[in-house]
Amino acid sequence: MTTNFNRRQTLFGMGASLGSVALAGMLSADAAATDQQAPSLAVKPPMHPAKAKNVIMLFMEGGPGQMDTFDPKPALTKLHKTESKLTEGLASGFKFFVGSPFKFRKVGQSGIEMCDQWQHLADPYVADELCNFRGCQAESLNHPEALFHMNTGSRLGGDPAFGAWATYGLGTENQNLPGYVVMTELALPQGGATNWSNGFLPPHFQGTRLRPNGSPILDLAPQGYKSRQHQRDALDTLAKLNSQHLQSLSVADQQLEARISNYELAYRMQADVPGVVDLSQETAATQEMYGMDQDETKVFGRQCLMARRLVESGVRFVQIFSGGWDSHDYLQRGHSSRIKSVDKPMAALIRDLKQRGMLEDTLVIWTGEFGRTPDNNKRGGVYSLGRGHNNNAMTMLLAGGGVKAGSIVGATDELGNHAVEKAHPIRDLHVTLLHLLGLDDNKLTYFHGGRFKQLSQFGGEVIPDLIA
Amino acid sequence: MTELMGGTRFYRRWLLAMLCVVTGWTIQASAQQQQQPTTADNWTKEHRSADADRLFTLKVLPLLTEKCFGCHGSDPDDIKGEYLMLDRASLLRGGESDEVAVHPGKAAKGTLLEAIRWDGLEMPPKENDRLSDQQIQWVELWIAAGAPWPDKATQEAIRKQDQKSQETADGILIKTSGGTSDQWSSRRYQADKVWAFQPVRPASELLPKGVDAAQAIDHFIDRRLQEANLTPAPPAKPAALLRRACLDLTGLPPTDEQRKQFITAWEQDSQQAWENLIDQLLASPRYGERWGRHWLDVTRYADTGGMSNDYERSNLWRYRDYVIRSFNEDRPYNEFIVQQLAGDELADESVAKRLQKELGNKATAQKIQQRVRQAQQTGQYTAQEAEWIVASGFLRLGPWDNAMVKADEARQMYLDDLVNITGQTFLSTTMRCCKCHDHKFDPIPTRDYYRMYSAFSTTQMAERTVPFTDKENLTGIESGRAHVQRMLDYATSKKNALINKQETAAKQWYKEHDLPYVGLNQRKSMPDESKPPRHVGLDYVDQGRLKVREQDVWIWNRRLERYQPMAQSVFSDAWVKIPGNAARKLRIVRNGDGKVRQNHILMGGALTALGDVVTPGVLSAIGLPVQSALTAPANDNFQISDNAQGRRLELARWIANPENALTTRSIVNRIWQYHFGRGLAANSNNFGVSGSAPTHPELLDFLADDFIAGDWKIKRLHRRMMLSEAYQRSAEASDPDQVANVDPDNLLLSHFQRRRLSAEEIRDSALMASGELVHQLGGLPVSPEINMEVALQPRMIQFSLAPAYQPSRTPAERNRRSIYAYQVRGQADPFMELFNLPNPNESSEQRESAAVTPQVFSLMNSDMMTDRSIALALRAGQHSDQVGQQITQAFQWVLGRTPSSTEHATLEQYVQRMTRYHQSMPEDSVNRREYPKQITRSLVEEFSGKPFQYTEILPVFNDYVADQSASDVGPQVRALADACLLLLNTNEFMYVD
Repeated sequence: MTTNFNRRQTLFGMGASLGSVALAGMLSADAAATDQQAPSLAVKPPMHPAKAKNVIMLFMEGGPGQMDTFDPKPALTKLHKTESKLTEGLASGFKFFVGSPFKFRKVGQSGIEMCDQWQHLADPYVADELCNFRGCQAESLNHPEALFHMNTGSRLGGDPAFGAWATYGLGTENQNLPGYVVMTELALPQGGATNWSNGFLPPHFQGTRLRPNGSPILDLAPQGYKSRQHQRDALDTLAKLNSQHLQSLSVADQQLEARISNYELAYRMQADVPGVVDLSQETAATQEMYGMDQDETKVFGRQCLMARRLVESGVRFVQIFSGGWDSHDYLQRGHSSRIKSVDKPMAALIRDLKQRGMLEDTLVIWTGEFGRTPDNNKRGGVYSLGRGHNNNAMTMLLAGGGVKAGSIVGATDELGNHAVEKAHPIRDLHVTLLHLLGLDDNKLTYFHGGRFKQLSQFGGEVIPDLIA
Repeated sequence: MTELMGGTRFYRRWLLAMLCVVTGWTIQASAQQQQQPTTADNWTKEHRSADADRLFTLKVLPLLTEKCFGCHGSDPDDIKGEYLMLDRASLLRGGESDEVAVHPGKAAKGTLLEAIRWDGLEMPPKENDRLSDQQIQWVELWIAAGAPWPDKATQEAIRKQDQKSQETADGILIKTSGGTSDQWSSRRYQADKVWAFQPVRPASELLPKGVDAAQAIDHFIDRRLQEANLTPAPPAKPAALLRRACLDLTGLPPTDEQRKQFITAWEQDSQQAWENLIDQLLASPRYGERWGRHWLDVTRYADTGGMSNDYERSNLWRYRDYVIRSFNEDRPYNEFIVQQLAGDELADESVAKRLQKELGNKATAQKIQQRVRQAQQTGQYTAQEAEWIVASGFLRLGPWDNAMVKADEARQMYLDDLVNITGQTFLSTTMRCCKCHDHKFDPIPTRDYYRMYSAFSTTQMAERTVPFTDKENLTGIESGRAHVQRMLDYATSKKNALINKQETAAKQWYKEHDLPYVGLNQRKSMPDESKPPRHVGLDYVDQGRLKVREQDVWIWNRRLERYQPMAQSVFSDAWVKIPGNAARKLRIVRNGDGKVRQNHILMGGALTALGDVVTPGVLSAIGLPVQSALTAPANDNFQISDNAQGRRLELARWIANPENALTTRSIVNRIWQYHFGRGLAANSNNFGVSGSAPTHPELLDFLADDFIAGDWKIKRLHRRMMLSEAYQRSAEASDPDQVANVDPDNLLLSHFQRRRLSAEEIRDSALMASGELVHQLGGLPVSPEINMEVALQPRMIQFSLAPAYQPSRTPAERNRRSIYAYQVRGQADPFMELFNLPNPNESSEQRESAAVTPQVFSLMNSDMMTDRSIALALRAGQHSDQVGQQITQAFQWVLGRTPSSTEHATLEQYVQRMTRYHQSMPEDSVNRREYPKQITRSLVEEFSGKPFQYTEILPVFNDYVADQSASDVGPQVRALADACLLLLNTNEFMYVD
């Protein structure tokens, strides 16, 4: 007889559904276990009634400018190219204000504001689902630290990601798929996998990255010259060898048994994952809706559609990283092209979720790691029309999952430099998002390094204005 | 409740009784009172109030401070729920609800008790902060007694009185350098919770007569087994013991030769055979490669610095080899400590001594300092001094980069890291908690944190010139340098071409503006109007490429340092200013004024919130004074001299003092953990109150004491542990049902704890079974072949993409033991990561060994494992041309035994089926693996937001010697390899019994 600790630790690998009948009893016993040593991926009830069950987080790496997307600043436009004496940020030398190159308008019944580059998101069917939060404040001015902060609650990196906490708290519906899936562009965002780390939580809470090219999960497919039948025979023969070994022991060892069952789960994942990521199963109309037929939207469109399929298949948390928002210069060109590449797919995602009745319990978040400054410095003697990093103001969108649809929450000052109304640190945002998922940040803790740790680090407040 | 009990008189009696029961006090207001009968009637008003005052001062107020004031008092601008609790009137009044919080004398009323009982309101709001029943009772009693709030002087008097007794029913006092409040300094601890801060009891006290040191382990282990009515498992079989010992001590399974030798010897004299085996394994160079890795887990070894740029720390491999060598040479642990924490200062001392010897009386302080500093620049060191400086690489292991970070914050980040890692590594103490406040649970005031911080505050990072020694393996320096030089030349030529293009345009600009040409560097600081625009002549593609190439030049220049006689180290100076991109180049520069800066407690960890001034010092709670000739501080012997030079050395010597109970318990506990799967105290980085208490405290003390008696020698400790019966038990419990009921986690060690192989053991064992493993002690980092998708995938660094991962060119270079693999913080080998190689950003006290499904993908499908299976099949093919014998042989190599007839039949039939399968496949069904000689990268140019491309060369693949793979062999070898792959996937291979 081996230890409880090891048994559970082993059993809940990436999933706990076991093929073998002999192990079924063990599973049900363990699925109920909630003690720290046995955190599993089995579905767990929320701590309080949840508004959202799943999360799709669209991460705009680099930091979109609030005043160039959803937070119009006419006063700033008037100051265009006049000297700025603002002292925040890292830029030095002669600084001048930069008005947004884009025009703004109110859209939908709710009158959400967005710049004219957003064409598809402006459709009232979609726009009226959005909640624009203008009160969030980051802390770090540097990309990796700010990314870590938004993703893991800590600027230092190494703590569990939001997705890991959510999966730890709620488990996941489909034991043949990872509970937390991450999609990136070809290049990883700054800070890499630390952004979807399990931190000190057990490893099965780590975000599993579906790779944009090649095998969606590393080594998922057998070597090319080995067929599915070949794999089946290999697993059967291995099971024989392993069971002969088990029989040679006088005392049963469940961690060894559980490891055998992992091979069966792997075999099923090999079958299921390619199916979920196979977008050819979607109609041409759907693919087109997501912009998969156009160069500028096909990458993000593919990922958004994949996100919907994953959530549909029972994945708890999906995160997509889309870079290129770090517009220090050529703001108009840069932001315009980034907006165009995400606008249609995002709108399609919200529309699609809504049409399928999935939006009400799927929380969609669109955010960067921080916002941008209203001013910039001259570079090489020329007015470089871009913006620096701003940790005092930013903008984000929330939709579905119990958020207050069609609303604008909080405000920045007239230049968009500081959040001045409903200003909240990132930890409050995290606490609120967990709250929507039916999780209490103060109770969703894990003992590590001598204390109980939590996503918000030391606690935070729910932002009631964001909740419907 | 009080009403029900009927009247005040009864209630007073009840209250008094409860005060005694609940708090466990002896009422000691005065001797006279104690003599009186303890009925409430005999109590005067003063007596009661004195007692309630004591309750408030010693219990309730500290509780409120810890649990409530954070939100309801400390920050006057942010009072939660408008409820202030800092004084009696406010506390009674209540908060925004307008309901009265406390009715003095009436515990049944008021919202405070409701809230702390989580009856309606839930306070404190965090589950983990919830008050215990006992704590709630204190508050209840206090309210019932009228909620008195004595003035400061009375509180002080009560605390003073209490402090006169070292031990009361409330626990023991621990004297420290002092907390930020009297309350904290005077609090009491439960003795068994602060076990780690108590002195180690000597073996003579711990061992009963007739039990000698050699029997001590079994004495302590068996005693607890008997108490738990557990029968120890019988001894393991010799084959299991052999594999266990080999893997534990060397990280490799036994060879056939070792097996034959051991079994023969065992049959003659099992005890002698076992002892000889242990000695042989400890003498093997493979031992240091295994145990060095444990140490690197704790100290967080990596070859790069992490964070935004992940620049290489090009010479840290020398520290890695120092660690391996230290284990192999059985360096006494106290020396190991001092060398890592202050090796550079040891070298300075030694240089000074050499000069004194040379010059005698003429060696003035000035001359000595001159010589010491000269040596620091030129690297004129003896081999011993060189080794010490390399050892101080310990102080350069944390992730650090100051790009885009303010100078003082970057400095703080470094010093915090040193304090934390020193606490965890050597003292098994988590210091991080007391960066912001006095420790909540442990007797460590924030003052001690900043004293240690101050001890490091003159530590300055630098890459230093340090000669190679004869002990270091310099193989591959020439070829390695040539490769890096080639990468550098490529980047430089690309960069120069772009600069030339720019400067041609610049010259044109000057010509057009009728101005004389000014070079790029000179014109940087000139006004905008008088020079061409930045990046003149370059379009966005050029600009993007220029940034990449400039970064590459830095990266490859840095990597060239690998081959230089340099060391990642430190030096001592009061203060220096470092550049803003110090992670890519940092040499010894003494640009400060030499004036020692004062250190303060930083309140809440904030650089701007200066608290008391602190001097350098050590942890005061264990009561071990600093013993140093350099200093004689008045009335506080936990302080260190505040010279810029020598602070660390003093700190290190205090840590390495044989009387330092934290240090000695820490190391013996770690060694125990790696042998038995779990430390006697399970959190080997945290001996504090929040860590696990030891299962066998006396054994832990015995081992610590015995370790000092054995001159801090670790090999002797291995022998002690491995010669015990406890270590040699079978992995199968004698009475599994009893174990499941009484000791399901095997804390009492009734049987050996079966363990999964570590990532390194899996890879190294597979390479050994396939005959590919190449042994070579130490040397430059090697680059094994990792998953090619990961090797070539783009990886963002601050302004660019990091260069692709290029494996070492030949199998002999690549297929070395895993400890020599190049460790990049931003790019882990996915295979090793999957099998729980720890993230080097955090100290790893123990490896995880969870079995997760993706491990199956790697073990069954990866190129890495497939290649091993092919090599193993080829090796078996060389051994025999009979499939049956090939299977037997492969089985023997992987699992160390002969297959049973059933196993053999299973595999033989499988190979037959697979042979037919592969024969039925077309000739070209196996693709040859591609190794691209160059790749095209895409990146978005920062200013324009437009994508551009550039070419990266991978010259290692120009004349790459690949491992044998499936495309190189025929159907029969592939079929046999399929069987070999299964063997490498078996539980028997993956676990140690």
